[in-house]
Amino acid sequence: MAVDFVDVDVRPTLRGGGEPFGEIMAAVNALAPGQGLRLLATFKPVPLFHVLGSKGFTHEAREIGEGDWEVLFSPADAAPAAAEAPAPQPADASAWPAPARAMDNRDLDPPEPMVRILAATEQMQAGEVLEALLCREPMFLLPELAKRGHAWRGAFESDGTTYKILVRIDGAREAAA
Amino acid sequence: MTGVTLSRWTMSYFALAVLCLLGAQALMALGFGYPAADVAAPETLLLVHLVAVGWLSLLMCGALFQFVPVLVARPIHSNGLALPTLACLVAGLALLLFGFLQLAGGAGPAWSLLPWGGGLLALGFALALWNLGCTLWAARPLALPSRFVTAGLASLAATALLGFTFTLVFGGVSSAQPLVALTAQGVPLHIVAGFGGWLTFTAMGVSYRLLAMFMLAPELDGASTRWAFRLGVAALAVAIIGGTLIVWLGARPGWMLLAAGLLGLAALGLYGRDIVQLYKRRKRRVIELNSRMASVALVNLAAAALLGIVLVGTGTLGDHSGALLFLVAFGWLSGLGLAKLYKIVAFLTWLECYGPVLGKVDAPRVQDLVVEPRAVRFFIFYYAAMWVGTLALLAGAPLLFRAGAVGMLLATGAIAAELVRTRRLADVRGAVRLPEGARQPRLLVSMVRQG
Repeated sequence: MAVDFVDVDVRPTLRGGGEPFGEIMAAVNALAPGQGLRLLATFKPVPLFHVLGSKGFTHEAREIGEGDWEVLFSPADAAPAAAEAPAPQPADASAWPAPARAMDNRDLDPPEPMVRILAATEQMQAGEVLEALLCREPMFLLPELAKRGHAWRGAFESDGTTYKILVRIDGAREAAA
Repeated sequence: MTGVTLSRWTMSYFALAVLCLLGAQALMALGFGYPAADVAAPETLLLVHLVAVGWLSLLMCGALFQFVPVLVARPIHSNGLALPTLACLVAGLALLLFGFLQLAGGAGPAWSLLPWGGGLLALGFALALWNLGCTLWAARPLALPSRFVTAGLASLAATALLGFTFTLVFGGVSSAQPLVALTAQGVPLHIVAGFGGWLTFTAMGVSYRLLAMFMLAPELDGASTRWAFRLGVAALAVAIIGGTLIVWLGARPGWMLLAAGLLGLAALGLYGRDIVQLYKRRKRRVIELNSRMASVALVNLAAAALLGIVLVGTGTLGDHSGALLFLVAFGWLSGLGLAKLYKIVAFLTWLECYGPVLGKVDAPRVQDLVVEPRAVRFFIFYYAAMWVGTLALLAGAPLLFRAGAVGMLLATGAIAAELVRTRRLADVRGAVRLPEGARQPRLLVSMVRQG
């Protein structure tokens, strides 16, 4: 059964630093029954596989050069079974998933908190979130997270002494790609 | 907020600073300057500035370029200014020292090098103040440790201006009455602003944060810390601003300095209380060498305060000001400086070399870069020799003083060799020394890798 694909190219949005999730979902919602979506992106949009999988789409992703990806989302009854494992998070940057790992580093000597956080980020999957409690702002850790393409959010808790940082694996790479 | 990257030239500041310290100790061991010469002789001035500018100020500037951003959680205003600043400071110091040699009757051109040295130093310090000042300004409102540093930087401005004034008068450039009056009466103000304001007050601010950080103690910002700051600032304002006004009114600044001294003692008392709290409330029971050796420096600061009280009380400050300054410079500031260098060099080297590969491969810990049981002997030897020197000055025993200086020189040389070994990763054993992706750091420059 041939599937009619609607093209959505979010590469300009991504290169402009924008967040394409709304654009993609609008296109998905506008699909006619039996239609598929052909998405062009600057990275492999793993989180989307799960989101659209839950809406009854399967996907085929392939790299098309220069780091760009083409993903064909087909209605489940029209395409072969999905090959990709679903990733456990939506792509919306404003709503990060619940932390997959949490660590309390408040009683560790510097730079042990940094060592542990970086070790954990190497073991985690793209899109997952790590939560760490610290006793100060990790000034030397942040450039290292940036170099490795992770996104982070951090702030002091209301007690004023605990600093909580959330690290989203490969988050910066996805946003900047 | 992007965090803090390595300050590229901080290691160069540290290396030149340690060389100046070694040079000054060698001169003392050779009997150059006080006590063989008068306390105000050009030879003594050369020695004092080699220590105060060459060793302590370069050390402090190099450390502040790296750690003010950490204190205020913002990047440094300009990374590019650090090298021109260093060039101005080193060239200015060299000219100043030659200018003192001219005063002592040495060779050189007929025109004085002092104003050129003073001018270049003022320019170098102005660049440092601009860079650090902009960084602090952008980070307002400031926490207490950063306020200490800000007050220390204001004192540095006063110190440099007073010093520049002296070089203009001594160098024959100016004979304006206010400048001549300051040169005649203002030397104590210059010393208080430099050793008390710039070096001690800044070190106090940085120590609040670094000691808390390395010993896992709670950050202090309670009433005693706030009052230590207020009283300290009041002491410096009375000494520097009040002292300058008194001099311009044609009087001697003695009473002003005594009032400042009392305020300063109160500030030091509160600071001492805070620091004892930090050591007591630390979560980390076994502390590293740097924190232990810093505690000896803090005891020396207390001893210096006590010695000051005794000397003023017995009316003998004039006879023993050299011994007091020696204890402040070598017991407190240099002791703290060497202890913190031992940690900072290891930490920055570790971060530079292994930061990029952490979590990806097996990497050593920071403490694997140093061998504390070996280094502790050199620190103890340094402090012992320093006390021999101080007591020899008080007792008027110049030969014993030179023996103490030889001991300090040897101990400092050994500590410097440890720092070089740390930088070269010489004490890291096995395959973790240079894992894949890690690069051997250079001795004098930190390479900051992007992307």
